[in-house]
Amino acid sequence: MTRILLKNKLDDCIAAWQKAGYSVLAPVQRHDMSSFDEVQKGSDMALDLILTERTIKDQFFPQTEPLIKYNISKKEIASETMTPPDKKRVFFGVRPCDASGLAIDDPLFGWDYKDDYWFKRRENSVIISIACTEADDFCMCTSVKLSPDSTKGADVMLRPLANGNGWQVDAVSDRGTALLESVSSLLEESSDEAAPVPQVAEKFDVEKVMEWLGDKENFESQFWKDISMRCIGCGSCTFLCPTCHCFDIQDEGDTYQGIRRKNWDSCSFALFTMHTSGHNPRNAQSTRWRQRIMHKFNYYRGKFGVNSCSGCGRCTRQCPVDMGITETLQAITNLPR
Amino acid sequence: MIYTPFPMRVVSKRVEAPGVNTLKLEFVNQEDHEFFKANYHTGMFGLYGIYGEGESTFCVASPETRKDYIECTFRQSGRVTTTLANTDEGDIVTFRGPYGNRFPIEQFEGKNLLFIAGGIALPPTRSVIWSCLDQREKYKDVTIVYGARTVADLVYKHELEEWKQRDDVNLVLTVDPGGETPDWHDHVGFVPTVLEQAAPSPENTIAVLCGPPIMIKFTLAALEKLGFTAENVYTTLENRMKCGVGKCGRCNVGSVYICKEGPVFTAAEVQAMPQADL
Repeated sequence: MTRILLKNKLDDCIAAWQKAGYSVLAPVQRHDMSSFDEVQKGSDMALDLILTERTIKDQFFPQTEPLIKYNISKKEIASETMTPPDKKRVFFGVRPCDASGLAIDDPLFGWDYKDDYWFKRRENSVIISIACTEADDFCMCTSVKLSPDSTKGADVMLRPLANGNGWQVDAVSDRGTALLESVSSLLEESSDEAAPVPQVAEKFDVEKVMEWLGDKENFESQFWKDISMRCIGCGSCTFLCPTCHCFDIQDEGDTYQGIRRKNWDSCSFALFTMHTSGHNPRNAQSTRWRQRIMHKFNYYRGKFGVNSCSGCGRCTRQCPVDMGITETLQAITNLPR
Repeated sequence: MIYTPFPMRVVSKRVEAPGVNTLKLEFVNQEDHEFFKANYHTGMFGLYGIYGEGESTFCVASPETRKDYIECTFRQSGRVTTTLANTDEGDIVTFRGPYGNRFPIEQFEGKNLLFIAGGIALPPTRSVIWSCLDQREKYKDVTIVYGARTVADLVYKHELEEWKQRDDVNLVLTVDPGGETPDWHDHVGFVPTVLEQAAPSPENTIAVLCGPPIMIKFTLAALEKLGFTAENVYTTLENRMKCGVGKCGRCNVGSVYICKEGPVFTAAEVQAMPQADL
C-alpha cells in the first residue's frame, strides 16, 4: 500500500497549498511556448508534456534579475539593493532531469560566496517531481547516470498510476514530508500500480567521454574544429539548459536612473570572454564549444564532483542547426582509442 | 547581498601616463572599511564601478600595509574606465571586493626579491613592492626591473624617483627602443634583454613578474636562462570578469577560475594550464 493523490483531489490540493501561503507552479502551455508558471487549478497544467520547452531553472535564476536600483542626481547617488520576492512556492510536476539540474547548480551558487538570489528562492520552494512515463529520441538522462524516475533534487516524488487516475506520492525530503502533511486528508492509501518508466537508451558512454576529455593531449585536437563547424553560436542550448548558469552584470537605464541587472549570458558568444584590449582567449566558435563540453563533463566534476548535465536533451532538441551536446559526446565515445 | 558594492569617495586623482589614472578611494561607511581591513591582502582585486555605466575589474594597487584607502590604477579604454577617469574629488564610485587570492609575502621573508613589470602592469607589482618595502627588514636585496614602451608611458613616476633615491632598492628602468627622450639616462631595450644584462642571482630569490602576455613569455624564458625555477616565479593572470566570485562562468582557464584560485599564480601553475585558453 502506498499513498496516492487522485486527479479529482488535485484542485483541493492546490487550494490547500494556496491557503497555506504557497503559489503553485506547474508546466503550462501558453501560445507557442511551454514553461513553468503559476496555476490555479489542475486543468491549467500541461502534465502530458514530456518536457516543457523552457526549464524550471528560469524560476530560480531568471533571465534577468534586478540587483540594485539607482538614482543619480546632481547632489548624490541613491542606491537600493533589490531582493527576490519572499514567496513560498510549490512546483508541481517537475521532470527528474529539471529537478536534478537544480541540485547540480546548488554547489556552484554556494561555493565560498553564497548567491542569495538563488538560495532565497531555493529555500522557499518545494519541488514535486514526477516520474516520466514517456521519453522521446532526445532524452538522455540514463546516459548521464540519472533515470526517468530519479528523485535527485526532489522533495516529493510522484509516480503516475497505470490506471491514469492519479499519482503515487512519496516524500523524499523533510520539506516534502512537511508539505504532504498539510494535505494528508486529501491523500489515500491504495495498492494501485504505478505506470512503468520508459526505457531510455544510453546514447553515449559518459565514462569514455570523461576519460577522453581528461587527457590534456586532446585539448587542442582537430576534433573540436570538425565537430563544431555547424555551430552558429546562437546560445539557444545554453539558455534552454537546466544547469547552464553563466551570467553578465549590466546597468540598464538612462542617465539618471536605472537598474543593475544580472542577465543570462552564454559561453557561445564571442564577447563573453573578450578583453578590453581586444585579446580573446576563446576567439573561435570551436574553442567556445570546447569550453562548453569541457565545463560540463570535466571542469565542473573536478570542482563539485558531478557533471553539469542532467540529460534533458533540450540542447539537441531545440538546436537550430541540429547539433547539441549529444552528437559531440557520441562522437567522442566512438573515437578510435 | 552578494553583488551589492561598497560606496567609495574619490579623495584624489593622479594622471600617471597618457590615458592612465590612479584614483585614491576612501570608504564612506565605517563597517565596509572594517571588512576591507580584515580581509585585504596584497594581490587581491576588486570590481570598481559607477552606477549607470557598470563595473570593471582591476587590482588593488595599494599594499596591505596601507589599508586606510584603496588606490586603483587603470587605462581609460571603455565606458566604465572613461567615466571613472572623469570623476572629481568627492564623487562617489563603488567597489566590490577584495576578491581572489594573494601573494604569499610571508613566504618571501628572508629572501631576495626581484620585481619585474611592464607598462600598466606595475600597479599589481607595486602593491607587493610597497608591502615589502614597508617591512623592509624582513627581506634581503630588492631589485625592481620596470619597462614601458616610452618614457611617457612609465607609471608612478614619482615613486620610481623615490625608489631610485633609496640605497636599499636596486631600480633598473628601461624603455623600448625608440621610446627614449633626449634626457633619458636609463636603459633602452626590452625588459627580457635588460633583465638578462642585469643578471640578478636566482640564489634564494623570489621573482614577481607582471606584464602583457608577450612580455611574460619572453621574460619567463630569460628567467629560466638565469637559473630561476618556475616555482619561485610569481605572476598574475587577468581575464574578463563579471561576478568576481566564481559564478558567472567566464574567467576560467581550463578548470582554474582566475577570480577564485587567482589572480596570483606561480609560473609553474600557469604552465600547467591549457596554454590555448590563455
